Amino acid sequence: MIRLARIEWLKLRTVRTGFSLLATSAALTALFASLEASRAGNGKYGVAPLFSASGLATVTTVTGWSMIFAAVLGVIVASGEFRHYTATLTYLATPDRRRVLVAKALAVAGAGVIFGLVSALIATGVGLIFVAGHGYHVALGTGTLVAHIAGAAVGAALFGAIGVGIGSLLRSQLAGVIGIFVWALVIESIIGGLFTSVRPYLPYTAATTLAGIKLGGAAFGPAHGLSGGSPLPFAAAAALVLGVAALLDVITVRTTLRKDVT
Amino acid sequence: MAVIEVHDLTKRFGALTAVDHLSFAVDAGTVVGFLGPNGAGKTTTLRMLLGLVEPTEGSATICGRPYQELPDPLHRVGAVLEASSAYPGRTARNHLRIQALAGQVPSTRVDEVLDLVGLTSAARRRVGEFSLGMRQRLGLATALLCDPEILILDEPANGLDPEGVRWLRDLLHGLAGEGRTVLVSSHILAEVAQTVDSVVILNSGHLVAQSTLDELTTRAQHKVRIRTPMAERLQSALAAKGATAVLVAPDRVEVSGASAEQVGLLAAEQAIPIFETTTDGVGLEEVFFQLTAAATAKETPR
Repeated sequence: MIRLARIEWLKLRTVRTGFSLLATSAALTALFASLEASRAGNGKYGVAPLFSASGLATVTTVTGWSMIFAAVLGVIVASGEFRHYTATLTYLATPDRRRVLVAKALAVAGAGVIFGLVSALIATGVGLIFVAGHGYHVALGTGTLVAHIAGAAVGAALFGAIGVGIGSLLRSQLAGVIGIFVWALVIESIIGGLFTSVRPYLPYTAATTLAGIKLGGAAFGPAHGLSGGSPLPFAAAAALVLGVAALLDVITVRTTLRKDVT
Repeated sequence: MAVIEVHDLTKRFGALTAVDHLSFAVDAGTVVGFLGPNGAGKTTTLRMLLGLVEPTEGSATICGRPYQELPDPLHRVGAVLEASSAYPGRTARNHLRIQALAGQVPSTRVDEVLDLVGLTSAARRRVGEFSLGMRQRLGLATALLCDPEILILDEPANGLDPEGVRWLRDLLHGLAGEGRTVLVSSHILAEVAQTVDSVVILNSGHLVAQSTLDELTTRAQHKVRIRTPMAERLQSALAAKGATAVLVAPDRVEVSGASAEQVGLLAAEQAIPIFETTTDGVGLEEVFFQLTAAATAKETPR
């Protein structure tokens, strides 16, 4: 399995897609973290001031993009095998398709760790720069900041694995990528806004809570910033997201993975 | 000994039967042409042989096992199934590095196969910039990377210019000379006629013929015309040997079922002088067309 994961990792390293998605995720993180920081303390937007722990955390945990883009990478990696007919060579080398699926999920999870770390370091950097600019005291302890950074890495890794499951299941890059954005940014916002008790159990929301993002913090539309409900504990949130990735893989193994490669 | 065995292989896609109870075998160390017009079922058969497509019925084995059960499959079988099965944004060298890692061969082998297929100067170019011919060469390099004893090549001459076709012919000659088993598909007999030992001809999913190239060549020369002053005697001698000989003029015999060489030897044995021999033959390609057209006509509902 280690060799298979290394093969998938080499595939990731030798094309531009991963680097482009990482750069996009980093740029969006910097943009949104800066926007949150610039409106912190302005009562109109409901973002607490940067001298408070909650205000600073709003900025340093703008890491949802890394999770979305890690999942997009997973979709592209998995469905790209069929789009570019490279599945033929992959399955000739490793006829056990389940092992290929797991190796892909591991490799993209590895890339997700980098996505999460880069995003979290940028968001933390933006937050600290704004805090320093205002001459405030840093309200969050080093331990909390490190936990949020590590949580972002875990969240993006697990969401990357979910992307691999979606890409393998749908085999369509466009449908998979659109599906990720629509689910994370629209559907979860609507469901989360309507049913706050369900919100902690939604996969993207659960992944973001790993990184310390408060419920509704990563949502768009009516659910943005909406309070209500308690986030799942770290282990439960991680288990839930991992469970979704595993469920997608099981469905894939029983359906599309058995299909003929023509 | 047969290293590739296809037995009663059938594949249906809904109402369409792409391969219909196909059986054939390929002996070790032989080069076999897998021929048929477009849509005959060649690619589907090769994909079933390689475990990529699930047969509806029957079996396809390599060295006695389904491909999926072969230990180190890349070291046993090298395959080229489509020229474009490489990610367009990846360089040729990186494409081969990935396959080298999959086959656990050293990366020095990557440079060797790039050199073998004449792509060394293009090694660091992205595959998306390659012509179809270059992609075919890259496909062959990928198939040869792990030095397999069996090669399965699906239409490897597609997209090659005349110089490329000649290069491919020389490469296949070289591979055959090394004692490898090669199953090479084509819809053009002439592409492989100079390379193969035998042919398996397919049409509409059915086996139309399996024979050596020599047998096919004999079929190709279907009439020999002889001018001789002893026409009746030659006619009797040929009939006694099982050939069909018709006296078309007092000094002319038209023979089918025997080659010009066989008629000449018989005439020499019987001391029958021969003044003129003409072979009213059709080319190998024509035989191929006749075989596949006959099969199509048989299937066409009237």
